[in-house]
Amino acid sequence: MLGEITKVTESVNFIGAFDPQIRTFDIIMKTANGSSYNSYLVRGSEGVAVMDTVKKEFSEDFFNALERLCEYDEIKYIVLHHLEPDHSGALIELMEKAPNAELIISGRAVMMLKGLIKRDIPFEVANTGKIISLGDKTIEFLSTPFLHWPDTMSSYLHEDKILFSGDVFGSHYYDERLFDDKVGDFSYAFKYYYDHIMRPFKQYVRQALKLYAQFDIDIIAPLHGPILRSNPQYYLDKYAQWSSEEKFRKHEFGQKMISVFYMSSYDNTQEMAKKIMEGADLVEGVVASMYDLASLDERNMIDLLEESDAIIVGSPTINGDAVKPAWDLLSCMAYLESGGKIGASFGSYGWTGEAPEMLHDRMRWLKFRLPVSPLKIKLIPTDEELKACVLFGQEVAEITMGKMVEMEI
Amino acid sequence: MINIFLEDDNINVKVPKDKSLRYVATKTGASMEFGCRVGDCLTCIAKVKSGMQYLNDKNEKEIRALEILASDVSGLRLMCQCSVKADEGEIVISYGF
Repeated sequence: MLGEITKVTESVNFIGAFDPQIRTFDIIMKTANGSSYNSYLVRGSEGVAVMDTVKKEFSEDFFNALERLCEYDEIKYIVLHHLEPDHSGALIELMEKAPNAELIISGRAVMMLKGLIKRDIPFEVANTGKIISLGDKTIEFLSTPFLHWPDTMSSYLHEDKILFSGDVFGSHYYDERLFDDKVGDFSYAFKYYYDHIMRPFKQYVRQALKLYAQFDIDIIAPLHGPILRSNPQYYLDKYAQWSSEEKFRKHEFGQKMISVFYMSSYDNTQEMAKKIMEGADLVEGVVASMYDLASLDERNMIDLLEESDAIIVGSPTINGDAVKPAWDLLSCMAYLESGGKIGASFGSYGWTGEAPEMLHDRMRWLKFRLPVSPLKIKLIPTDEELKACVLFGQEVAEITMGKMVEMEI
Repeated sequence: MINIFLEDDNINVKVPKDKSLRYVATKTGASMEFGCRVGDCLTCIAKVKSGMQYLNDKNEKEIRALEILASDVSGLRLMCQCSVKADEGEIVISYGF
């Protein structure tokens, strides 16, 4: 027997699917009780809009709900706020069943659509300000890219004051009671989702929040987890707080923060780290600190990386490679915004000395600014070489404080 | 040599003719973001604030990609599709515009 279809408002129904069995999402995220693939049907006086679909394996649930609410020839628009397969899995079948419906995607989704669908299908592009009408219902689109794919967009249903936010404000939390005032405590899942999915894109969160602020929002309808209707402003404020660009150090003391991370086998790389920190600390407005990667937990790595304006990483070269904790440190950047941070690398070596170059290359791919070449010293640093370490730290600090870099290539 | 000022990184760099902006980004360590590097993904979109005439002309792929993104694309370029075409001049680029 089919269950009752959940009404979000008189004209909007939930037609998504529940996945209580999933435990690992997108390879990196855990969920203790599953998730949902949220999809919504909006009915207006002149037709229906389907807001997103579901993961392909859950198509049956989606079509069952949809067919109980409308005829396929009533569907005027299919809106995909985000093309990831957990939301576009039923798209092809839906377009075959509703051939008159117009597919609406963001500009950045165009190439992705071709990559995912592998065939030419008609579509319309929506940028901020585009409006579609279902007669007595009006949907306005907002470009909210990189949340968490480049293609993500949001939309606002004016008459019902619903924000369809894409993956923004989502949670991997399964509870068929669906509304935030009915489900269990999902606050940990809401924050966990933000940390893993949105935290690397804070500047885009801030841009999206500015767009959302122009609307009077009664309900936030995300693509995963509970629908937020009890106090939408609470969730908007949480995102604003977590995405603030204010760094503690800068905010409290007006200082920029340089972190020197290192590992050392025979103290040589550690000696370099001390001198680099000393050099960086000579520059007014900078506070430099050093951390031994042998004793730093991942959670602390993430927080330190986020707070730091410049990151200097040191590793000896062992068997032609940097040491694993240095790679682990840089892997934490997957959770953070990297664009604009300054990076540099150094290390003592015995035989071949590849580690600083390898770390430098890795940081380049992580979108660091890398204004100085890697610094490497063979075995025990001489007094002259230690002076070079001081200058190295000082140069990185001065650039962090805004010194213009002049170069010729 | 042409002078390129990468505004967001405060880098002023002299670049010989025919060098690509990808090469400039790599050599300077600038924080310019690249995605697909073939003109599809729009990640490397940037505003050329002055000196557009010293860069190569937009190819069809770049024109199509930019038109999808915005109605007014004057001043916008995909950095992965750009190279320097002059020996002298001054270009100012912002990628966090």
